[in-house]
Amino acid sequence: MFEWSDEQMMVRDAVRQFIDREIRPNIEALEHGDTPPYDTLRKLFATFGMDAAARDRFKRQIDFERAVADATERGEAPPQKPGRDGDGGASSLTVIPIIELCRVCPGMVTAMGVSMGLTSAAIMAKGTIAQKERWVPELLTLEKVGAWAITEPDSGSDAFGSMKASARRDGDEYLLNGSKTFITNGPYADTVVFICKLDEGNPPAERKVLSFVLDRGMAGLEQSKPLRKMGMHSSPTGELFLSDVRVGRDRLIGETEDVARGGREGAKATFQQERSGVAAMALGIISECLELSVAYARDRVQFGQPIGEFQLIQEKLARMEIARLNVQNLVFRFVEMQAAGRDLTLAEASAMKLYSARAATEVAMEAVQLFGGNGYMSEFRVEQLARDAKVLQIYGGTDEIQITHIAKDLLRR
Amino acid sequence: MNVVVCVKQIPDPADPGALEEDHTLKRTGKLILDESDSFGVEMALQLVDKAGGGDVTLVSMAPNDETSGLRTALAMGAAKAVLVSDPALAGAGALDTAKVLAAAIGRVEGADLILAATESSDGYTGTVPEQIAGVLDLPSITFAKHVEVADGTVSVQRQTELGYDQCESPLPAVVSVTAGVVEPRYPSFKGIMAAKSKPVDQVTVADLGIDASAVGAAGAGQQIVEVTPAPERQAGEIIEDDGEAHLKIIDFLDGLKVL
Repeated sequence: MFEWSDEQMMVRDAVRQFIDREIRPNIEALEHGDTPPYDTLRKLFATFGMDAAARDRFKRQIDFERAVADATERGEAPPQKPGRDGDGGASSLTVIPIIELCRVCPGMVTAMGVSMGLTSAAIMAKGTIAQKERWVPELLTLEKVGAWAITEPDSGSDAFGSMKASARRDGDEYLLNGSKTFITNGPYADTVVFICKLDEGNPPAERKVLSFVLDRGMAGLEQSKPLRKMGMHSSPTGELFLSDVRVGRDRLIGETEDVARGGREGAKATFQQERSGVAAMALGIISECLELSVAYARDRVQFGQPIGEFQLIQEKLARMEIARLNVQNLVFRFVEMQAAGRDLTLAEASAMKLYSARAATEVAMEAVQLFGGNGYMSEFRVEQLARDAKVLQIYGGTDEIQITHIAKDLLRR
Repeated sequence: MNVVVCVKQIPDPADPGALEEDHTLKRTGKLILDESDSFGVEMALQLVDKAGGGDVTLVSMAPNDETSGLRTALAMGAAKAVLVSDPALAGAGALDTAKVLAAAIGRVEGADLILAATESSDGYTGTVPEQIAGVLDLPSITFAKHVEVADGTVSVQRQTELGYDQCESPLPAVVSVTAGVVEPRYPSFKGIMAAKSKPVDQVTVADLGIDASAVGAAGAGQQIVEVTPAPERQAGEIIEDDGEAHLKIIDFLDGLKVL
């Protein structure tokens, strides 16, 4: 594919219309006020039937898992998983809203992606059927807000090595302790996936990594107010403090301590969705910055001519267009691969994220430069996108971590 | 209940096209659903939904076989469409349009109600719905701001300058709706994906038993002799507040006869 199909363009136009009516006029409240993004996101989901589609997908998945479980219990051969012949381009129905939202309000995508993506995926990947049914459907529809809590004040890229959050056995239950920070949706989360180490008195490096599902309001769980940050203001980020939070085994994901590779693999399982999602976010930011920059270069007159006549400005536009083409090609390739039932390798997903995040930051900063003094002012939009873009190089694995993942994946083949 | 909605596909107003040599609008390229028609489509969908069954059928005409605009209405939930697509329709006027649409409506079985917008966003003649009613010899109600159907009767609140008239008509009838009648829905993603496979019955004027010379530029009986740009908007009057500005505002509003 080299462009969206007619249907995909209709999806794009419909989402764009929704954003122009529901989000652009409220951008001030979402970015600089006390309006959390969730009601608007829920409206987006309901308007386009994304909530009903998510419920259907979930039901099909659970029905299959239950059929497998029942057959295994009866000692029969479990039903074959339906052949993976691609998603028919369905990934575009996620990718297009991400792109369009990121033209205006990338923080909303972060809030949405963490809730329905990371948090639900953590439970879907390793949870029991009962746990999935208990927590996942409402996360997928955004009826409930989810947070995925791994990062701590002293553990970022080295998430497991320096992790202090702990679970200790107490009879049939566990006592959870620790603090988490930079947690997207932390201040408003209804459902929290809390990642910690099982403290059996053994050295920290040997401890198993376990994940628990917590609900808002549990005794000992404190959720901070939103932290102030450089960008992504429409995505509330906060701290979580756990002080002897008592949980039963029903909240331990998988209801077992026997986790593969000490539990260190599970948290990486979602890298493909997360990293390709960042590329789609970057494409939204780049496309908006480029469009705004071209219009400004035409209209802004200095030294008696539109600034677009100056070669230094032309160079900026040219570089922006190159970035747009490259990132769009990466996104199209991802959509095509999903349609063909193929997955990205770790190196591909990491390269996609690294390149796109850098390109988005560079394009957005250059857009600010092209706009000059106006670019530094909020009214002209590009300063927000520049602040928002920067985090794409930091979250979901820093640029530096992406580089190591690309190299490691290439070297181990 | 089966509802027919007359819809028009027009060049995107956000990207106004050029004019042909005969001063008619260039209609080549992508055409979109006239926004004023989305209200009729929504009204029809709600009425059928409330009636607990039936179909919404679109009826439209175009000088080419463009269907982008129809797909939008199909994505909203309309079941099918009849598109009269014929080069002979280029340059059509209001009455020949009404005759063609009336004939196309005749292809839809069991139409209980025919809805249309008050006027199109590119032509603005505002006469086609009543002409269709005339051709089909059906009762017609204009400027509907609220529509209800019960027991074979359509009840309409008909917008007037001072308020509204309460009108009733037996079905079948032709009703033209205003932009305030209902809030059009966005097409759901599922609806968009399904729209491609919904049937669009493409017919020519000959298929409708109409002589091509009776429609379009040949049969419209009208000619656009000149097109002039709309007058530039005049600058507003600025009143410095010397403590008496409110009186001047009252005078101004009084002059508009809005007080």
